[in-house]
Amino acid sequence: MGDIRQSLLPRDVLSAAKELLYHLDIYICNLVQHDPEILLRKYTIYKQTKMGNRFSVCELQLLEIMCSCFQEQSRDTVRQLMFSALFNLQGNQADESRMALLGKLVSMAVAVGRVPILECAANWLQRTHRVYCVRLAQVLVDDYCSMVPGSVPTLQNIHSASPRFCCQFITAVTTLYDLTSEELTPPLELLQMIVSWIQDDPRLVLITFLNTPLSGSQPISSLDVTPLGGLVRWCIKAPLAYRKDKKQALTNGSSESEPEAGLLFSALHLSVLQVFMLLPNILNEKGLYGRLALLQMESVAALTSDLSRLLDQADKHTHTSPADTHVLPQLALDRLAQALQVALASGALLCSREDLRAICSRLPHNNLLQLVLSGPVIPHAAHSPIASHPTLPTHPALPTHPTLPTHPTLPTHTPHTPLASHPSSHPQYSTQPFMTGMPFPFRPTH
Amino acid sequence: MLNDQAMSVVFDGSPLKAMQSHSHTAQTALSTQELSQEIKSFISGVDTVQGRKLSVREHARCAVRLLRSVPACRGAVLEHLRGVYDEHVSAFLHNLETEGNASSGVSSNLEDIIQEVHGVLSEFIRLNPRAWAPLVSTWAVDLLGQLSSKHAGRRVAPHSSSLNELLQLWMSCAATRSLMEAYSQCLAAMLAWCPDACVDALLDTSVQHSPHFDWVVAHIGSAFPGTIISRVLACGLKDFCSHGAKDQGLLVMGVDKGNRVPKIGSVVGILGHLAAHHSDSIRKELLRMFQESLSPSSPLSPTSSSTSWESSPQLRRAAVPFLLQLAAMSPNLFGAVSAELVELLRPPVLLQLQALLQGLPREELDNMLGLAVHLISQSPSGGARVLRFLADTATPASVIISGPTPSPNEGVREGCDRLLQMLLLHLHKLVFNRSDGAEVNAHHSAPSQPQRVIPFLEELQSHVAQLCAETLRLERKRHLWLHQLLCLLSVYGGPSIATEALCQLLTQARNPEELALAWQLHTTLSSCMAGLIPAAVARCVAQIHTHTLGPRQLRQLLLNLAAAIQSQDEERRGAAGAQSSMAIQVGSAVSGHLHDFGPLLLHGDPAVSHAAVRLLSCSPLPRTSSPAHLLLLSRAAVTYFFLALRRRGEAGKVGRDGGQAGEAVNCSVLLLSRFAAYSPLTLKAVLQQLVEGALHKGNADLFGGQIADMSGAPVLSPSVAPDLGASLLDINCRFGTTVNFSGSVWSVFHAGVIGKGLKVRGATQLPDPSGVIQNIQTLLAVVVQCCSSSGLNGSINSSRSPSDPDEPPPINAEAAKVVAVTLVENVCPDVANGELSWPPEEHARTTVERDIHIRRCFEAHPVLFPLLQVVAAGRPALCYCSAVLRGLLATLLAHWEASREVSSTDSPWHLQASCLLVSCMGEGQLLPPVLANVHEAFPHLTPFEVRLLLLAVWEYVRGNGPMPQKFVFSSEKGLFCRDFSRDGDVARYVAPIHSVLHKNIDRLGHLCWRFQL
Repeated sequence: MGDIRQSLLPRDVLSAAKELLYHLDIYICNLVQHDPEILLRKYTIYKQTKMGNRFSVCELQLLEIMCSCFQEQSRDTVRQLMFSALFNLQGNQADESRMALLGKLVSMAVAVGRVPILECAANWLQRTHRVYCVRLAQVLVDDYCSMVPGSVPTLQNIHSASPRFCCQFITAVTTLYDLTSEELTPPLELLQMIVSWIQDDPRLVLITFLNTPLSGSQPISSLDVTPLGGLVRWCIKAPLAYRKDKKQALTNGSSESEPEAGLLFSALHLSVLQVFMLLPNILNEKGLYGRLALLQMESVAALTSDLSRLLDQADKHTHTSPADTHVLPQLALDRLAQALQVALASGALLCSREDLRAICSRLPHNNLLQLVLSGPVIPHAAHSPIASHPTLPTHPALPTHPTLPTHPTLPTHTPHTPLASHPSSHPQYSTQPFMTGMPFPFRPTH
Repeated sequence: MLNDQAMSVVFDGSPLKAMQSHSHTAQTALSTQELSQEIKSFISGVDTVQGRKLSVREHARCAVRLLRSVPACRGAVLEHLRGVYDEHVSAFLHNLETEGNASSGVSSNLEDIIQEVHGVLSEFIRLNPRAWAPLVSTWAVDLLGQLSSKHAGRRVAPHSSSLNELLQLWMSCAATRSLMEAYSQCLAAMLAWCPDACVDALLDTSVQHSPHFDWVVAHIGSAFPGTIISRVLACGLKDFCSHGAKDQGLLVMGVDKGNRVPKIGSVVGILGHLAAHHSDSIRKELLRMFQESLSPSSPLSPTSSSTSWESSPQLRRAAVPFLLQLAAMSPNLFGAVSAELVELLRPPVLLQLQALLQGLPREELDNMLGLAVHLISQSPSGGARVLRFLADTATPASVIISGPTPSPNEGVREGCDRLLQMLLLHLHKLVFNRSDGAEVNAHHSAPSQPQRVIPFLEELQSHVAQLCAETLRLERKRHLWLHQLLCLLSVYGGPSIATEALCQLLTQARNPEELALAWQLHTTLSSCMAGLIPAAVARCVAQIHTHTLGPRQLRQLLLNLAAAIQSQDEERRGAAGAQSSMAIQVGSAVSGHLHDFGPLLLHGDPAVSHAAVRLLSCSPLPRTSSPAHLLLLSRAAVTYFFLALRRRGEAGKVGRDGGQAGEAVNCSVLLLSRFAAYSPLTLKAVLQQLVEGALHKGNADLFGGQIADMSGAPVLSPSVAPDLGASLLDINCRFGTTVNFSGSVWSVFHAGVIGKGLKVRGATQLPDPSGVIQNIQTLLAVVVQCCSSSGLNGSINSSRSPSDPDEPPPINAEAAKVVAVTLVENVCPDVANGELSWPPEEHARTTVERDIHIRRCFEAHPVLFPLLQVVAAGRPALCYCSAVLRGLLATLLAHWEASREVSSTDSPWHLQASCLLVSCMGEGQLLPPVLANVHEAFPHLTPFEVRLLLLAVWEYVRGNGPMPQKFVFSSEKGLFCRDFSRDGDVARYVAPIHSVLHKNIDRLGHLCWRFQL
């Protein structure tokens, strides 16, 4: 390795980078993973930080070279290895420049549609600590949603280009924007984009989950497998968080986005519930029903405590608009109740009603939530879908998809089944107006 | 734009995605394929499709497209655009340099690109200021800095000091103007949420490209004055605080401006630019900073706007040193603040300040103190206020003196005390190390070298009067400080200021202690300045002439001068000190201006005239003086003498303040006598005026006289005088028809109108006999002193050694002659028959009218006899009074002849007059002793016998005429004497005497021996 290093040293960065990538290619093709190669990588990324006046242009050239390189690499494995060799975090000081370069690379890949890079990035997002994932997401959101006006559609294209990356991106974004402050409220463009993605294809949310062999070897504190937890949090906190924004928005005179955001969150909530409905089949297919909690108990607990705090604040602050004081908190609690019920029923949330009661004890009264908490627990035995849920007045016909884990013979779910894109496309199911997105093929089996 | 794209981009046939309906711009999105082509083109600078090189313009267009569509490229694009801007600036300058010969080639080509870039950027900033403003502002500022310093050396670029030209040049260039506009836009957007960051960047760049970047800062600053100022200050403070105060020492003199404390230098520069138009806001901001740094921390205080330094105790502590530092580095800022700062320093603020400063380490405090002292001494305005404040605060509280401010904490007082002393020390160093220019300057009008100006002292020069007044209050330590300061100021300001100060002290001092300050000042200054006292006195005189002094000050000035001169006499008696020379100087200076002080004797205010006489009486007389001045002075002095007499009389009547009036008289007597002794001219003038004055109707009452009319008879007031019905007009009217002598003008005589009895004599009211006597005595004393002074015939008198010191010096003959002549002129209006020799007694009837006039004069003016006696003493002067004596004697003879009284004592005035007349003539040696003694017998005789004796006298004088030639000077007596033996036999004149003696031997026996021959 030493000779390569010697040959790199006197050169300028760009030719060195080309040389390096070439050597990496050879190296990885030979599946020789070695320490000196890491050293070279450092060299590349390190050296570029010391560039002078034309730094940014050089950087752009470097990015271009990398793009081409990954694009031209035909073998997935090699590409993956090269990518991780370059961008896996080492915990040293080069990580910062690595992250900066990665952010730009991915952003550029989005712009010029380099699918291989996006795929690699999706993998990277799965393996890396969530803090860095969040940073990458931040870079993309900044670039496409705020920096360059009119570039949102470019980002929207990643859905079609690389669904895996898209899914991971959603997870990272929902982790990033937890609605705790104004800065951590998702921009409207982003929200629109995500809602449209999930409305178009609810399964998008589950793609990572579906495509990943759950070996239990998930790196610690990496992103969740699905963005479900984050999305649920968005939907529930949104009425309260957005109202908080509204006051500030009023002073700015731009309050017209608020109702739009409300509608978007409603749609998102519905989509999330629909995704939950998809779960039992999938879990059963994988044989994980009742064993894997896609919605973590801890995140639910954190959510409820956040919610109670928000409600307290809302009580204190909103004396002026009595209409909002009741409607919005109740909407939030309603959504919570619905989400809990559906999650429980679909096996995404694994806990007892007792636990739930403990978690929700500090929340104010809500009829629906009361029903959910006190209702009969039918996590496993509820095989009769419709009659067993009289406690859901808003969704009287909400089925629980009693797909038991003991039924391995269930029809296999095809993930790429095109989903109904609009409720009006199913006018015939007039008795179940809220179930328009349901994959009906599963129902008659019971 | 679509066209432009069509020119440079070749579509690869893939359909455009025209789905972005909600895009803000109407741009057409490019396919990913095209985008990667664009990126390649941009990187390589070669059109990847056509394979030709891109022009600068096309390249820039390509960059703009990337900026719009590929977010990851923005860094590279902005970097590329730097080159484009630079190129444009080069072309622009080149164009200017070649006077537009090669015009419109490159520059116009790039100008639209720059417009385009500017449009895109400003649109981005407008749409999303939070994301773009920091990025673009940093880029723009950096690029501006680079461009300004890179092209600073160009031929067309003005020098960096001419800010306005620079600004004009750069703002006419599209590239820099666009950058400036973009930056302004960013700043406007960023001020709302992160003002510090953008100002920081501005400051950093400003430091980096120091003088060439100033125009940017100036422009930005004047666009956002209110905000920029406070941010700049806050940034500077933070930077100052983080650098610590250890660099202060280097910066005291503003030497090390840039490198070690980078930001404060640019803070000063920026504020300096802004000070031209926004000095008000700068001042407010600085003062606000000061106040807030002191006020107890209240994080929620409404005034603490977006700047956050108020909340940090460390920064608050550093605020005061920081402000001092700023002030030290920029006179502009200092000038803006200093005036109002003093107003702010009320006692509570001082206490806060003290509390704040107590926490600082000692050397830092010393630094600050030095800095403050330096600042004060360099302060161009408000110095007087600062000084008063310092002195007020540093003056120890006392029960006796209550200063204008209530006494603050003792610590504050000590602080101010220390500051003041350091200030004095510093000024002292400055003044005395200022080269020897002061000396040179004092003697040559043109300074040989430029002197170092000390603004503090410069300004105080116009406050010398107040300073002096403050000094003279003699408050505790204060006057020591101020006195020291006065000295420094005088040395600094040169003779004019020194003169002014001395003059002020002389005018304002009210007692010897205060006056001593003036001498102290002079003592200090005399070593380095010559001719100070004459100048000061001249200045005082100028003040008198311009009437700038009120009566009180005027009086004080005169008294002070007098005191100064008198101290000379004391010194002569005691040990000769430093004062003596000064007193002599004052004396000689005053003597040079005597004629200026003279008119003050007649000042309307008695106090002033009194002071003037004091001064004049003790001042030495000038060596030479013009006669006109002397005459004026003598007239004034004489007039004042009579005034003083009158005042003494009035004061005696009222019973108040007799001492002062008496002293005034004494002074005036002294003045007259000294003045008379000065020269023959003055002697003559003084005597003449004294006599005239004594007889003048305005003064006659002082000496028991009455106001006499033309005929010498006392005038009656109209109410008392009865209407006699005799009118010349009436008579003349009737003249033609009838001649009626009764009651006509022809029947009017001196004693009355024929047929109507004697004229009613006015009742003679003599108000105050004792006063009259005193006045007469005073007058005589003056006259005698004048006459006996050594001015006239000095050579003769001085040769005579005074054998007996108690015996008064003899009356000078010449002086007596002056008195005599004046008397004659005044008493005897008729010059006919004015010859010295006497005619026979019968001829006296030809001069009846005149004789009566003379007698009446003597009646009206009792003072005439004493004067006559004085004249008599100055032999042979009485000879010149011959006419008067003759007239008087004639009327007396007529009276005694007509008198039918039993005894001569029945006509007391005539008896007295006769006695005095004869004794005077005897004294004047017009009569031999035998005849001169006859008056002793008069009271015992009948009127007829008196007439006989007087006739004998007449006969003698007729026989032995009163000629001055008959007197010879006897050197052993020092007098003129007459040798009667040369005259004829006296015996025949003595016969009537003897017969009268014989007749009345029973009563006159004891007098017989007096008439032995």
